[in-house]
Amino acid sequence: MIELRDLGVSIDGRMLLRDVNASVEPGEFVAVLGPNGVGKTTLLRAIAGVRPHATGSIVVGGEAVDRLRPAQRARRMAFVTSDDALTDALKVADVVGIARFAHHRWWEWSSTPDDEAAIERALRAVRMEAYRERLFSTLSSGERQRVWIAMGLAQETPVLILDEPTSHLDVRVAHKILALLREVARRGHTVLCVLHDLNEAAAYADRLMLLGCDRLLAFDRPNAVLAGDAIEEAYGIEMERVRLPDGRLRVFARDAVL
Amino acid sequence: MLLRLAGLAALALLAACGGLLVGGSPLATTDVMQALLHPAHASAVTTIVWQLRMPRICIAIVVGSSLAVAGALLQGMLRNPLADPYLTGVSAGAAAAISIAILAGVAPPLTPGIGFVAGLGTAILVAALARRGGGVDPNRLILAGISLSALFSAVVALVLTRAQSIDYEQQIIAWLAGSLAGRGWHSLAVALPYATLGMALALFAIPALNALRVGDVRARAVGLDVGRSQWLILIASSLLAASSVALAGIVGFIGLIVPHLARRVVGSDARVLLPACAFCGAALCLVADAIGRTIVAPSELPIGVLLAFIGVPTFLYLYLRSEART
Repeated sequence: MIELRDLGVSIDGRMLLRDVNASVEPGEFVAVLGPNGVGKTTLLRAIAGVRPHATGSIVVGGEAVDRLRPAQRARRMAFVTSDDALTDALKVADVVGIARFAHHRWWEWSSTPDDEAAIERALRAVRMEAYRERLFSTLSSGERQRVWIAMGLAQETPVLILDEPTSHLDVRVAHKILALLREVARRGHTVLCVLHDLNEAAAYADRLMLLGCDRLLAFDRPNAVLAGDAIEEAYGIEMERVRLPDGRLRVFARDAVL
Repeated sequence: MLLRLAGLAALALLAACGGLLVGGSPLATTDVMQALLHPAHASAVTTIVWQLRMPRICIAIVVGSSLAVAGALLQGMLRNPLADPYLTGVSAGAAAAISIAILAGVAPPLTPGIGFVAGLGTAILVAALARRGGGVDPNRLILAGISLSALFSAVVALVLTRAQSIDYEQQIIAWLAGSLAGRGWHSLAVALPYATLGMALALFAIPALNALRVGDVRARAVGLDVGRSQWLILIASSLLAASSVALAGIVGFIGLIVPHLARRVVGSDARVLLPACAFCGAALCLVADAIGRTIVAPSELPIGVLLAFIGVPTFLYLYLRSEART
């Protein structure tokens, strides 16, 4: 379980978010939403323990993240971040294999059968098993994104945190990835994921965490968040709401609809 | 991959054997073998082999392997292919201190130790200036290294303009050009413990180097203590570079180019890349030293100059050819 208590995050001394209080249960898929620059990535990085937070506390599995040793933290949480170029010529399996770092002691330099099995499972889950021996640099941006997700899966942690995992992906692959994350959550993992598409988030997530105006504006079931005024407050534009036959809401920017 | 690594090791061994045979006085293989097997036997060949060539070969191995491994460490940590072992100001700091020492008339046997301490001191200063959070900021490190190097280069230039004697100037220039001339077992004994410590620390840094290949943020996410790893890598590379500067002055090219060559042969996995760099750097240094000792015998060409003349065009040719293929 992830618990955020009076959490504040900042960049270079500028507070982006204050007083964030939320808890995410095991088996839950939470989508983090909000306009550009609101602090979604900074919040996720703080939760994942890869950057410090300014105030409050982050508790994962009963322990404060900033008290965990790096390897302990990496056995609890995997963090998948957006694409960036690699300087070295690495094969796909090598990239994914790096995720197994925390499962080794410092003198254990070779991969174990467990590592190989985890890499294989992760590549299969993102449909990249055929690319195992391909050089990462030869992949398309969508394929690279799937490799990063495979890296997160190969870490085999109870918590999976993803920063815009569907960026660079076409609509078909994006939905496959989100369905996969849904399945990961169903198996008992906690999934926390930044998404930009409100309707994509509403279709797959159990709850939406909406950030805006330097605070947590809403944290609730998709229909409750989409129906409220917080969406307009967060993005500063009017929204048009459409109810699907099964009762689920979808939202669109009013100007776009007109 | 292990076969390729063994090939590079064989290359270094071959270069070492060649280094024993060639020089100002060419020696027959059988005479060299005799001298190696009977070191106590008093003869001119034994003296040449054990007192002149063997220490130089050992120093060339230490210098070449240290610089190449230090380069690979810094390139891996900074994820910057232009990083070299002197980025942390080791060479400039050492050169400034040695220039001042020569001008002040300090006894020559003391200069390697002075160079080592000054080089390491400069690296510590650069690392302190680049400190951020629990680790170092790569951009700050590069800026601090370049700034302090420029300052110390100015000190060297000032010393050269103030040197009253041609002899002092030549001694300083010999250091700046990089040379193994006149180095013996004593010089090796001074620097070897620090180079060995640097190599041992480099081994500890291997898992970190491999994790850093996917960037700092991902390396942190998979459980690497990035700050601690950066310090480990900086200490290891500084010890290796300072040992090398103390032994041979400023030998360029190896620390920058050898990691690139080795990556093309064995890939970027630090478990094989670091030994490959060590073998490749040693082989190059041995070959350059052997050529430097023979082509203008009985005089010598500085190893740093030779490495630049031979190595840079060779590297550019190999690099451009492989780029054209891909």
